[in-house]
Amino acid sequence: MSRQRSTTFGRRTTLGLLGAGLAAPFIRPAAAQAAWPEQTTIPDILKGSGEVRIAGFGGTMNDAQVKAYYEPFEKISGIKVRAFPGSDPTKIKAMVETGNVEWDLAQLSRGSIMNLQKRGDYFEKIDYDIIDSGVEPIYRFEYGLEMLVWAQVLAYRKDLVKGEPKGWADFWDTKKFPGERAMYGTTSGGFPEMEFALLAAGVPPDKVYPIDIDKALASYDKIKKDVVKWWDTGAVPIQLLTDREVTMSTVWNGRMAALQAAGVPAEISWSQGLSKRDAWGIPKGAKNKVNAMKFVAYSTMAIPQARIAFAIPYGSVNSASNEYIPPDRLSVLPSAPEIKKQLVNYNYDWWIDNRDAAVNRFNKWLLS
Amino acid sequence: MPYLLAAPLIVFMLAFYALPVVAMLMRSVSDPVWTVANYAALPDDAVFLKTFANTFYTSLIVTVASLLLGYPVALALVRAPRWAPLILVLIMLPFWTSVLVRSYAWMVLLGRHGILNEALMAAGLLERPMRILNTPLATQIAMSHILLPYMILPIANALRQIDPSLLRAASGLGSPPWRTFLQVTLPLSMPGVAAGVLLVFVLALGFYITPAMVGGPREITISMLIAQRVDQLDWAYAATLSAVLLATALVLIGAFYRLPGVGNAFRMNAR
Repeated sequence: MSRQRSTTFGRRTTLGLLGAGLAAPFIRPAAAQAAWPEQTTIPDILKGSGEVRIAGFGGTMNDAQVKAYYEPFEKISGIKVRAFPGSDPTKIKAMVETGNVEWDLAQLSRGSIMNLQKRGDYFEKIDYDIIDSGVEPIYRFEYGLEMLVWAQVLAYRKDLVKGEPKGWADFWDTKKFPGERAMYGTTSGGFPEMEFALLAAGVPPDKVYPIDIDKALASYDKIKKDVVKWWDTGAVPIQLLTDREVTMSTVWNGRMAALQAAGVPAEISWSQGLSKRDAWGIPKGAKNKVNAMKFVAYSTMAIPQARIAFAIPYGSVNSASNEYIPPDRLSVLPSAPEIKKQLVNYNYDWWIDNRDAAVNRFNKWLLS
Repeated sequence: MPYLLAAPLIVFMLAFYALPVVAMLMRSVSDPVWTVANYAALPDDAVFLKTFANTFYTSLIVTVASLLLGYPVALALVRAPRWAPLILVLIMLPFWTSVLVRSYAWMVLLGRHGILNEALMAAGLLERPMRILNTPLATQIAMSHILLPYMILPIANALRQIDPSLLRAASGLGSPPWRTFLQVTLPLSMPGVAAGVLLVFVLALGFYITPAMVGGPREITISMLIAQRVDQLDWAYAATLSAVLLATALVLIGAFYRLPGVGNAFRMNAR
C-alpha cells in the first residue's frame, strides 16, 4: 500500500540521492593539493585473482573509496573490484536467508553486523592473521573490522548564535543560545542520541554507559519543544542549517565540509561528540570471501586508510596513518589526537544489547 | 477466450508480486514459530495506536482538503471545454513530477525563510516568519497537492457522464443554477466523489517520504513504523503492521465498492 515508496524512491535511494547532491564538494578538499601517499608493495598473501563485489553507500563515499583503495587494490593485487551502492543489513539478511549472496563484502557498522549475528549466522569471521598490526585493538571484532572513523557532533550557525556553544548543556540551554534545534531520530533505523541527553544533564563522559534510559528521557523532556525536526538521514540537518530552519543541530561531521564549502557560516563544535565507526562485514557464504578478506586487510593498512582522509573528512583505524596526512588536513578529522580526546567513544556493545528497548521507549516518549 | 489475454500479466503478478507479499505477510504469524502473538500485542502497543491514529487523521484531512479543492476543478474541467487542455496540463504536470522533487519544492515555499514567509513579511502582513514547514500542516498541504489528481480525475469522469439533457430539463423547469447543481449535478457525481475519496484516502495511508521531509517532529506514519521495524530486523512485527495497513485498505475498498454506482466510476468509458 505504500505506493510512494514502491513507485518513486526507496529510502536508501533517497538517502543516496540527497547525499550525492549535497556532498559533491567533498571531492575537492583542502588536502587535494598535497600528494596522496602510495602503497607500493603488499604482502604476497594479499595478492590473488578473480573479483570481489563490495557494497558501499554509493555517491561521494564511493568516489572516495574508488580513489583511496579500490583502484590501487586492483592494480597491486590483481583482484578486480566491483562496487555496488545501497549497502544495508536487511538486504544481507535476505541474501543469506535465500542463499543468493550478491555481495562479498559490505560497509556496515559493528552495531548492524552484531545485531544481525545475534539472530543467526550471517557473517564470516575475520582472519586476523593477515590484518595489519597497526589496526588498533578497539576496532577489531570477531565478525567484522572497523575501517572508517567519523563523529556525530554539534553544529551551529555562527551568524545566528552568539558565542560558541560547547557540549550538550549549551545545546540544551535555549536561553543562552536561542533558536530551534534538530536531533537524530529513529524513523529510518536511527538511534536516539541518549548519550547527548545524559551529557546535557551533567553525566560525566565516562559514566554515560550503561545508558540510564529514564534519565535520558527526562533530560530530553527539557529540549523536546525546541526540536523542530528529528532527522533521519545526514542530508536533513545540513539542509535545515542552510535554510536557517534551525540554529543548532546534531550532524555527521563529514556532511559539514559540503556546507562550509558552499559558504554557509556554520561550524562544528567537537566537544562531547560521539566517535562512531563504519565496519567491513563479509556476508556468510560469499562466493569470493577469500578475496574479500584480502581486501579488508589491504584497505585497513596505514596508507590506504590515510588516502580515504584525503578524499573525505573521516579518520583512520590504523595508528600509523596520521604520519601520511598533512597537519591542516588532520586538524579536521575525528581521528586527530586533539579532536579524538574531546569525543566520547560510541559503545556499540551497549546498543547491540539495548537497541530495541531504547528505540521503543524513545518512540513512546516522542508520541506522548 | 479473451481472458487468456490477461494470462501473462496474471502469471507475472502472481510470481513477482503476490507470492513475495504473501511470503512477507506470513512472517507475521510464522516468524520464528506459529503464533498470533504479534497481533495480540497490537492493542497494547501505544506507539502503534498513536501512529495508526495519526496516519488515519492525516489521511482524513488530506481527503477532505483534496475534495474541497478538487471538485471545483473537476467541474471546470468538464464545463469549460476551452480551458480543459490547460487545466489538464496543470493537473498532470505535477502528477508526473517525482514526489521527492515536489516535497523539496514545498520546503522552498513553506520554509521559515521561504517564499511564502518572505512575501508575507515584505507585504507587511507578518512581523516574524510563521512556522509552517516541519509541522503537520505542511504534511497536509504537500500531500493534498500530490493526491489532488486522484480526486479530480474520477470526479471529472463522473461529471462527464451526466446527461446534459437533465441539466437543460432542470433549467427549463425554472431551476436556478445553484439548485440544479445541488439537486442534479452533485447527486449524480457522487460515484466519482466516492471513488476519488477512496483513492486519495487509501494512498494517503501509505505515505512515507513527504511526512518525513516536510512534517512535524512528532509525525510518525505507519509506513515509517514499518520501515523502522524492518531496520530493527523485527520483520515479524513489520509484517504484522503491513498486514494491518493492507487489511484497512481492503476493508475501505470493499465498503466503498458496495456504495451504489461507485464501481462504475472506475470504468473510464462507461458511456
